[in-house]
Amino acid sequence: MSRIELESVTKRFPDGTTAVSTLDLAVGDGELLVLVGPSGCGKTTALRMVAGLEEVTSGTIRIDGQIVNDVEPRHRDIAMVFQSYALYPHLSVFDNMAFSLKYRKINKGEIRARVLEAARVLELETYLERKPRQLSGGQRQRVAMGRAIVRQPRAFLMDEPLSNLDAKLRVQMRAEIGQLQRSLGVTTIYVTHDQTEAMTLGTKVAVIAGGELQQLAPPQELYRRPVNLFVAGFIGSPPMNLIDAVLERGGTSGFSDATGPEVVFGPHRLRVPPQVIAEHPGLENYLGQGIVLGIRPEHLSDAALGAGDGDAVLKVPVSLREELGSEVHLHGALGEVAHGSGPGADDVRSLATLVAKMDPRTAIEVGQTATIAVATDQLHFFDPLTGASIRR
Amino acid sequence: MIVIAIIMLYPFWYMIDNAFRSGNQFDRQSGHSLSGWHELFANLPVGGQLLNSALVCAAAIVIILAVSTTAGFAFAKLQYRGSGTVFLLVVSALMVPLQSIIIPEYVNLAKFNLTDSYAGAVLVYAALGTPFATFLMATYYRGISDDLIEAAVMDGLSYERTFASIALPLSLPAIATVTVLQFIQIWDDLLVGLLFLPPGQRTITAGLATLAAGRTTDIPALMAGSVISAIPAIVVYLIFQRHLVKGLTLGMGK
Repeated sequence: MSRIELESVTKRFPDGTTAVSTLDLAVGDGELLVLVGPSGCGKTTALRMVAGLEEVTSGTIRIDGQIVNDVEPRHRDIAMVFQSYALYPHLSVFDNMAFSLKYRKINKGEIRARVLEAARVLELETYLERKPRQLSGGQRQRVAMGRAIVRQPRAFLMDEPLSNLDAKLRVQMRAEIGQLQRSLGVTTIYVTHDQTEAMTLGTKVAVIAGGELQQLAPPQELYRRPVNLFVAGFIGSPPMNLIDAVLERGGTSGFSDATGPEVVFGPHRLRVPPQVIAEHPGLENYLGQGIVLGIRPEHLSDAALGAGDGDAVLKVPVSLREELGSEVHLHGALGEVAHGSGPGADDVRSLATLVAKMDPRTAIEVGQTATIAVATDQLHFFDPLTGASIRR
Repeated sequence: MIVIAIIMLYPFWYMIDNAFRSGNQFDRQSGHSLSGWHELFANLPVGGQLLNSALVCAAAIVIILAVSTTAGFAFAKLQYRGSGTVFLLVVSALMVPLQSIIIPEYVNLAKFNLTDSYAGAVLVYAALGTPFATFLMATYYRGISDDLIEAAVMDGLSYERTFASIALPLSLPAIATVTVLQFIQIWDDLLVGLLFLPPGQRTITAGLATLAAGRTTDIPALMAGSVISAIPAIVVYLIFQRHLVKGLTLGMGK
């Protein structure tokens, strides 16, 4: 059991590329931290620095309080599961799992006991004599997990361990990894580009983009309070609708009154409820200016099936209907919306689209103008220049 | 294909056919006898020279494998300053023909009193074979996933043990390829054997050359010696054939 801390960690490659920039992270004892982000964002590089496979350009990495920047990977007592599984092709499943133990001079009886126990947990008992090439993708993945487990290391590092599996197996293995990690209670850093994996597995999730940490928070916090446009767009499927809008004073009353401000985009106006204003006091500074409005697709519904209390309504022509069985995705055009703030800002216009995640009973078809209810208590607001969430 | 096969196989047929003739039968190209074999064994210590060839081959190949596997692994998997330049130098050594450096080699070895000995010939063969073998091994190791090497390092192995426990067992096809190619090359070589080995330690190829050194050449005896000389190379090739094909096509895709 251990605690891993990254303090202002930067990785710059010899060609000048900065893969990771002043990254601060802390993974508590027994926690599972997921590093998530698009390809090339630096998450794997960060993981490899923790493993010791990449040198740290600046900053410090601590494991259990000990700075390990210059400690060789083999002396860090960390097990890693690779994207390719990296099973030794010339060794049997048993020998793959026992490999590291043999080099640690653990006695044969102990090795056998540990391997058999891991094989039992991972349901690999009948495959122990096989070579990796005789196993399916899922079985190989389990062997890779087994190889990590038998070592009883201070921490697990997992680099996209499920990305080579088909969709069904990925869901199954995801659940198994989650259960296994919880039962073993080993501190784990897990890298993925799949936000579903990140949200379902992580005790905490670190969203990384361009080598920089965007937000570190529990999954629900990321979903409910994304700190910027990147996180808002990255977490959630389908992604959050991000619409250029202008915040206008609604009635003649004060900013936080019931008749208070409206978000205007194209021909649409949404009144911002008082409780939302209370949660976003910083909004007042944007009156009369451009903002980016965020609406999650799941916070839009078919008004004909019943709207929630306080829901506003948008009339949107539907251009695409996607049937997913348990839900329906409707795509619609919002019309031209104004961009940004400042002189001449209204001249910059674009055609905004909206995606709504609907109840499958919805009867709205392509070509119809849908009456869509918006849960206005779930709106998000972002600064169009900095991309930061507008809260305080 | 058939025409090419005939062109390739005819010399073998010619060699075997004429090995079983006497001098007169060879001149007439009719009749067969074991006369050539009697002449061969009477004039040449065949057994001893085969043993010399085997010793020189084995020693040189052991050195070539020891250097090329470790160097190939280092070039392929250990990133260090100047490795690309050094590798380029090694590869450029492939382009140097033996004949152009044989005299300087002789002079160098003479300074260390290594001429007229197994050691001198072994060192020359090893020096000549190592660049190609290193190139081949490095290419092979580049084809082994970095993840495997890193997994071994994460499993607690040093790079030395990773090489011995993971890279080396996985490179058996390439090792077989190097072994076969170097064996054939060294076994068949004449120049180094003649220059660096004293008469008592001559290889079979150098020994056979002495049969043709007089005013007349006993062709059937020479052919019989050539048959004996060719057998080990063919046997080694057949043993490693499967690995050889795999090794020669390495780096050609997935």
